[in-house]
Amino acid sequence: VVVLEKDEMLRLAENAVAIALAKGAAEAEAFVYEGQATSVGIERGQITKSNRIIDRGLGMRVSVNKAIGFAYTNIVDSQSAVKKAILEALSAARASKPDSAWSGLPEKRSFAVAEKTFDHKILALRPEDLVDVASVMLDAAAHADKRVFSIEGGTGAGYVSNALANSNGVAGFDKGTVIECSLAAVAKEGSKVTPVCFEFNAERSYNVDAEWVGAEAARLAVSALKTKRIETKNTKLILTQFALQDLLYFTLINAVKADNVQRGQSAFKDKIGAQVASENVTIYDDGLFPGGLRTAAFDGEGTPRQKTLLMEKGVLHNFLYDNYAANQEGRESTGNAARAGYLSTPNIEATNFHILPSGTTTEELMSEVDDGLIIYYLQGAHSSNPVSGEFSVVATPAWKIRKGEIVHCSRGVMLAGNIFEVLKNVSIVADNERKLGQLISPWLLVENVKVIGK
Amino acid sequence: LRDILAKLNDMAVQKFGAKYTETRAQSLSKTMLTLKEERVEAAKQGIEDGVALRVLVNGAWGFASVGSLDPAILAGAVSDACKMARAAGSRLKTPIKLAETKTVEDRVHVKPKKSPSAIPMEDKITTALSINKAILGFDKLVKSCTIDYLDLTGTNYFVNSEGTCIEQDKLYVWSRITASAVSKGVFTFSREEIGSTAGYEVFDKETPERIGDRVAKRAVEQLAAKPPKGGSFPVVLGPNVVGVFVHEAFGHLAEADLALSGGVLPNNLGKKIASDVVTFFDDGTVNGAFGSFKYDDEGVPAQKTLLINDGVVTGLMHNRETASKFNVAPTGNARAEDFRVEPIIRMRNTFMAPRDYSFDELVEGIRSGYYFKSFRGGQANIDGTFQVGVQEAYEIVKGELGEPVRNASISGNTLETLLKVDAAGKDFELWPGRCGKGQTAFICDGGPHIRVKEVTVGGSA
Repeated sequence: VVVLEKDEMLRLAENAVAIALAKGAAEAEAFVYEGQATSVGIERGQITKSNRIIDRGLGMRVSVNKAIGFAYTNIVDSQSAVKKAILEALSAARASKPDSAWSGLPEKRSFAVAEKTFDHKILALRPEDLVDVASVMLDAAAHADKRVFSIEGGTGAGYVSNALANSNGVAGFDKGTVIECSLAAVAKEGSKVTPVCFEFNAERSYNVDAEWVGAEAARLAVSALKTKRIETKNTKLILTQFALQDLLYFTLINAVKADNVQRGQSAFKDKIGAQVASENVTIYDDGLFPGGLRTAAFDGEGTPRQKTLLMEKGVLHNFLYDNYAANQEGRESTGNAARAGYLSTPNIEATNFHILPSGTTTEELMSEVDDGLIIYYLQGAHSSNPVSGEFSVVATPAWKIRKGEIVHCSRGVMLAGNIFEVLKNVSIVADNERKLGQLISPWLLVENVKVIGK
Repeated sequence: LRDILAKLNDMAVQKFGAKYTETRAQSLSKTMLTLKEERVEAAKQGIEDGVALRVLVNGAWGFASVGSLDPAILAGAVSDACKMARAAGSRLKTPIKLAETKTVEDRVHVKPKKSPSAIPMEDKITTALSINKAILGFDKLVKSCTIDYLDLTGTNYFVNSEGTCIEQDKLYVWSRITASAVSKGVFTFSREEIGSTAGYEVFDKETPERIGDRVAKRAVEQLAAKPPKGGSFPVVLGPNVVGVFVHEAFGHLAEADLALSGGVLPNNLGKKIASDVVTFFDDGTVNGAFGSFKYDDEGVPAQKTLLINDGVVTGLMHNRETASKFNVAPTGNARAEDFRVEPIIRMRNTFMAPRDYSFDELVEGIRSGYYFKSFRGGQANIDGTFQVGVQEAYEIVKGELGEPVRNASISGNTLETLLKVDAAGKDFELWPGRCGKGQTAFICDGGPHIRVKEVTVGGSA
């Protein structure tokens, strides 16, 4: 696999900054991106396709009289395309309005070291190798139970690198790899079809457990065959990582973004130092978590990644900042500027949102539940109120726990409440931490959540 | 360019033994804005040129995409795509086949009254600032608003190994407007989207003042709203919620790829699954609508597809692959977000046909229920469980609209719910939106007001 080299990408970024300054930019920042991904896809029980994407680009941010312009191009091997993007960023800035609160691009700070984020073995994977991984997963699901039908999924190997340079002398290069496999399955018995059950594993080095993914997706699907209605009441819930990821992304994570706090769009405004969750809850945003899926040396505007304590024993400690939001309060960015490759300007986003585990095993956690539900998949979390934290979602499905054992599943169960109440009602945190997108978390046991049965 | 693309197809067929190949190229420009309150966060422009190759070798798909028009790089992509297909097909049991389709040669022009590419950036900023002003000026309880704006113009090329060759202009104008209001510890959030394939003239109808008022008014009114009760209730759904219900609860089940993956519809083709008042279409031909286009990304003409007629399932949405499996004609639903990804089955403009009830007639039959007017999001599972989150809702008490309620959502089983639709209004609205299925597609959905005898309402009270 041929990839752009560090020097080549840095030179491209630094040249672009120099050209922008020569053409009249007060400040300039160039973000050069390369992404290469190879994947194989499963459809209806068999591998049917394989894709390869090579995507490169330059995103150029400039300021002129405190007005910000941005332009991108996905053609980086043409000098004229690069120059055009630089000129378009300038023309956009000149057409825009000055932002009196703008106080400049980030200054140079020394980068941290991102650990366990690159594995050359992933870069060397061929489609045939990915077919093997996907087959292991499919076979594991098929052997688990003959009622299981694998709907879709696949395996993918990706490489991403970026070089960033700005007119304050910031210059950095970072690269990383990721391999992932996922499987969505249903179980069928007679005319009965279960909801889609899903498993997933993504790692920065070549050690995904495809067999576990296949077997676990199958186990969940089969366990969803036996259904029974449940009644409407307030009950105990075990929230697994899938449910937490969905729910937190649309509620809690918005509340800890400094720009939302500054704009009055967060329920955590003026709450630093206050008890906002149960004392079982401690959360870091850890941009340097070794092998984390969002771990990198620097963020989308060249600020070093760091580990930021957000909540300790339920007490709110800090928010997530990019350079702009940090400047509004005269403090330093926490390295939380994220980019959608070269296509976007930086936005505040969590990196690895890490809810610390405890010493309680999942068996012990289950045994605490005399009568309750365990929730894997949620539907509709994106329709939560992102400001108030109120949610009204469907568990697809919910599994009923009685005396510490899963006894059946139930469909169409709705959960309604407020995420900030849920956080206050976390009674036990388990020890089974895992990575899922930007979340690193164990299961949580939550008391007294309103569930609406059918 | 079409000759270059045709040569790539020839190479795949002659040198690598591909049975079918298609090349898609795009040359697109985008303008984007983000405004937060009265601050222009950034004015943005972008260029995306690239080529995608999809080949069928030994019954499996290979796909490669590159952001380049360099002949050597494109030749490499052809070889890549064919190798990928061979690898993918190594354990194939059921080879992929494509339904026949007429070959097409066409050049599709768009003729907007106001092309977004001819409107200066300054004017777009002025429009967005006017929306901001309308929202923040509506009431001092409105504390923040965010406006995202996007326009996209350019040309897509499609050439396949069967002789189809299409050059199709693309034009989209889109904006999302959100506002939040705060009072006495209550936070509300309101959103709207605007989307058109006609041109920038969409803002002549959806003027900044109209949009701004709509978003801000809702945010303020919701401050006084109370949480709904949880449980089963009769409801009236507004066109905006009906659209999302049609799209999420039924539309996804009628996408043939999902239907084949264990969905409930294949066993119900030709059968009555809904009440008599239910007629659904997925229509790619609505003039200027956000989900319209002339040809899909397999070169198949878009059409108006009848999905349910008076309660009877009449068809599914297909690409060429699923059409072959069902032995029907493809419906022109294969769409790719851009050159980076392959076409998959997507909806276009999906809606319920109106009937003859007035709004008052729909409401007057309900003793205790809810009116759900505007949605915040929706989702579905292939087992037929759907959820639609609601941003604007009211109680119905003894046949009349009552107090506003906030942050409700409705859920149910699609087939059970379709049988419980007992009346539909004579009004009709189509709303633009975006649908996520791994890729993003621009769509519309809508319908009349309807009454449903019973759905589950997810309320915390």
